[in-house]
Amino acid sequence: MIKIEGLTILFDSFKIENLNVQIEEEEFHFLLGPTGSGKTLILESIMGLRQPRRARILLSDREVQKLPPEQREISYVPQDLALFPHLTVRENILFGIKARNLDLKLHENDIGSLVEVMRIGHLLERYPANLSGGEKKRVALLRALAPKPKLLLLDEPLSGLDPAIKADIQHLLKTLHSSFRTTTLCVTHDFEEAYFLADGITICIDGKVEQVGKRDEVFLKPKSRKVAQFLGARNLYKAKVVRREESFQRVMLRVNGLQLSVPMGLCQGKFEMGTEVDLFVRPEEVMIIRQGKPVKDSLRQNIFEGEILDIIDRGRYHNIDFQTTEGKILFEISIPNYAFRNLNISAGEKIKVALREESLWVMP
Amino acid sequence: MGFRYTMLGAAFCIFLFYLGLILSLFYFIGGKGFWEAFTQSSTLFSIRLSLVAATTATFFAVMIGLPSAYALSRFEFPGKRIVDTFLEIPIIMSPVALGASFLVFFNTPVGELIQNKGIFFVFEIPGVILAQFATIAGLATRLMKASLDEISPRYESVARSLGSSSWQAFYRVTLPLAFKGLLASVILSWAKAVGEFGATVTLAGAMPGKTETMPIAIFTAIASANIDKAIVLILILVVFGLLTLYSIRLTGKRYRYD
Repeated sequence: MIKIEGLTILFDSFKIENLNVQIEEEEFHFLLGPTGSGKTLILESIMGLRQPRRARILLSDREVQKLPPEQREISYVPQDLALFPHLTVRENILFGIKARNLDLKLHENDIGSLVEVMRIGHLLERYPANLSGGEKKRVALLRALAPKPKLLLLDEPLSGLDPAIKADIQHLLKTLHSSFRTTTLCVTHDFEEAYFLADGITICIDGKVEQVGKRDEVFLKPKSRKVAQFLGARNLYKAKVVRREESFQRVMLRVNGLQLSVPMGLCQGKFEMGTEVDLFVRPEEVMIIRQGKPVKDSLRQNIFEGEILDIIDRGRYHNIDFQTTEGKILFEISIPNYAFRNLNISAGEKIKVALREESLWVMP
Repeated sequence: MGFRYTMLGAAFCIFLFYLGLILSLFYFIGGKGFWEAFTQSSTLFSIRLSLVAATTATFFAVMIGLPSAYALSRFEFPGKRIVDTFLEIPIIMSPVALGASFLVFFNTPVGELIQNKGIFFVFEIPGVILAQFATIAGLATRLMKASLDEISPRYESVARSLGSSSWQAFYRVTLPLAFKGLLASVILSWAKAVGEFGATVTLAGAMPGKTETMPIAIFTAIASANIDKAIVLILILVVFGLLTLYSIRLTGKRYRYD
């Protein structure tokens, strides 16, 4: 278990107060926050390059906050990678082994298999200036992993790459983590990266932790409107609790004249009548009902009629702007291409949609 | 096009101006005393003294200047601005004033103590070295700081995370990366020390065979109307200067004077 407790940083006008992050052994943890939320400062404090006002850092029960960076066994891959330009790829990779006076023989096998996974065997004698962007990333990752750190810190590891290389490195990170199980803390503002790679997530906005949890917990059940917005959630509505049906364990909400029924289990907290809440409807969980097909019981609770305003082709999926007849509420619906083709719909058409229970989430 | 030619014309004029100056020296070459002046023992002494003193002064300037440059480049500390400004003292102060300040200093109780119990500077060779050191230490620090500024501190961060102490990170990463720039700074500082006149002559005097460096020897030769000797020494200085510029070129460093 890696624990960062009460991290407090005051730097110029910037302030992080009492930040707590917990990372399980072998976990791929993401610290997610908008650009400019001090993520690099946090990393530098964990590494010991910056003296925070206050912090307790535990690496499996070893307190390291008073140790200099070289004794913490925390490897770091900065955003700009900082490969040593005067050293070859091989010398870069072995830098940590030499600096720590480790026995190369003991690490040879591990480094060999890392080189293989990273596919950089043919680059070992080159200098960083002669590598492509993706190759540089791979070398930087390998350099950080070679001395077997207790914790690997990644600063925006996928920024500044072409989409194809980005996907490649993303997969590589996943493979690396599943085969070498290095405990990793990655800071980024890119929630899609986190969705693909994270086991656990800490969301930090304006120097404060807004939510901590397993990946799905955070993405499907954001704790607040702030978190939902940061995670790119569309279909966020201000709603009011109008009725509680205790016997059915359901809550009735009103959004601008439209009435919805939500199971109490999908509400974050126990809301009394008249409470103002935020309702989040996941765009990919909204069903378009095909005419003539029977509707499952589980979908019968929230069926709305309305009109398609617009259809946007997003490449891998289609986004449909749908407006309910009652209440004129605008929903964004996201459906995969094959499903879209089967539906055979066009803008201006009247359709019915059903909100699956899984698509709903109510926040205070 | 008028604009372009005006600017180019100015650049060409400056070139001609300096070229003419150097070419004019050759008008007197081969005069009667010319070759004699070359082999005179006092000339050889001046050359030797200049080289030894400038090299020693540069050595000390680097010993103190490199760590200072690192501190100014990497750390934030109270009074950093003031320290940085004081590096320019020898640049804004007239060299004669700098040398005179030393003379004043060595007449204070502390100065006298240093002279009596330690090394005697006034009108001695150590005075030559001290004057040159004072002139170039600030400059050397400034130049080396500029070279270190070009190397991202991120390299050291990564080196430290990989297990290097701050000393190791400095000599394994920052030093080799900044080496060309540092070398160019050292060469330039050395050249400046070789050419130093004002502070040296004020503190160490112009004693033939004792404290007479090349620039001082030129001055005394001209003062005693010994044109041949002056020209010989000027030419040697020019050759040193050109060699300096050439070796900076070899370091691959384009140096900006700022």
